[in-house]
Amino acid sequence: MANNGKITLEIFRYHPETDSEPRYQSYEVPYNEDWVVLDAINWIKDHIDGTVTHRWSCRMGVCGSCGMMVNGEPKLTCAAFLKDYHPRAVKVEPLVNFPVERDLVVAMDGFMDKLDAVKPYIIRDDVNDTSEGEYRQSPAELARYKQFSMCINCMLCYAACPVVGHEEEFLGPAALALGHRYNKDSRDEGQSERMEVMLSDEAMWGCTFVGECSVVCPKHVDPAGAIQQAKAMGAQEYFKGFVMPRGAGE
Amino acid sequence: MSAGGGSGPGGGGPARRSGEAFWWALFSGGGVMAALFVPAFVVVTGFLLPAGDAAVVAERAAAFAQAVGWWPVKVALLGVITLSLFHCMHRIRHLLMDVGLRRYAGALKLPCYGAALAASLWAAWVLWGI
Repeated sequence: MANNGKITLEIFRYHPETDSEPRYQSYEVPYNEDWVVLDAINWIKDHIDGTVTHRWSCRMGVCGSCGMMVNGEPKLTCAAFLKDYHPRAVKVEPLVNFPVERDLVVAMDGFMDKLDAVKPYIIRDDVNDTSEGEYRQSPAELARYKQFSMCINCMLCYAACPVVGHEEEFLGPAALALGHRYNKDSRDEGQSERMEVMLSDEAMWGCTFVGECSVVCPKHVDPAGAIQQAKAMGAQEYFKGFVMPRGAGE
Repeated sequence: MSAGGGSGPGGGGPARRSGEAFWWALFSGGGVMAALFVPAFVVVTGFLLPAGDAAVVAERAAAFAQAVGWWPVKVALLGVITLSLFHCMHRIRHLLMDVGLRRYAGALKLPCYGAALAASLWAAWVLWGI
């Protein structure tokens, strides 16, 4: 029963140069049990309507580019099987909480800026020459941040988070989890630099621990947990600031 | 050292260190208190203490009152009550922000944390009198 009838995809359409507002367009595609929603969209693009615009690359849950709202839930469309929706129609929309660029494609600029703000890379005062060998790390030190390093920047957590929708200053789940990932890395010395950004008004404190980010994450990262840990570290930094004025300990 | 220092929130110097860290610390401590101790108090004072016949209950209540009269117990109780109140009002403040009062985030601090402080002072006054 590989090929069993049809399934309807209702796709969000918006071409800013011609459309004054978004609309939905229905397409009937062959129903195939092995297909994911991304296969169906690709089929539409190849066989029915070449103007449908969407982002995708790896088809195996690694690149993080095919995130969309599938029946109202943020999903990687390469991991959302049609058999979980058939025979009902599948509604596909761009990720919420992002400006729509065209059809299913959202503008990522705001997200990239937030990612950049937390400096998601190892910062050291003195960088050893490669000839001096690697910075060694024990399995226990690796375990402290490893799950947070599995993030693929798919932005599903931004679509799931109500605070992202309310509060522009909020850095959001993925960026905060990645900032925390580097703060927890034994090779890193950049925590105070990152905390300057994370401790500002709503950057991190806006999180009310709704927890949906961790529910929708396709890589089983726990951004909600990362943010709570980061808040505890941030509160310590804050109180330390009174005892040891900033700059004195750096 | 910080290459992005100039473009950070707050301009040239160090970024604004938000007072939220302070309120969150009270919220966090209060969460632990409310989760660990308040249910135990409810069980003890609400169910265990009043169970049984009147004479036994009166004896138990007297013993309980005597324990509360001891000042380290008063301090511990005040800690639980105060932190739980700040936990509650911080959550209510953020709830109000989420339902559309976000632009009053700063103004909401006074009524919310003020109420927690006032109720804490009242609790202190009551405890003092025991």
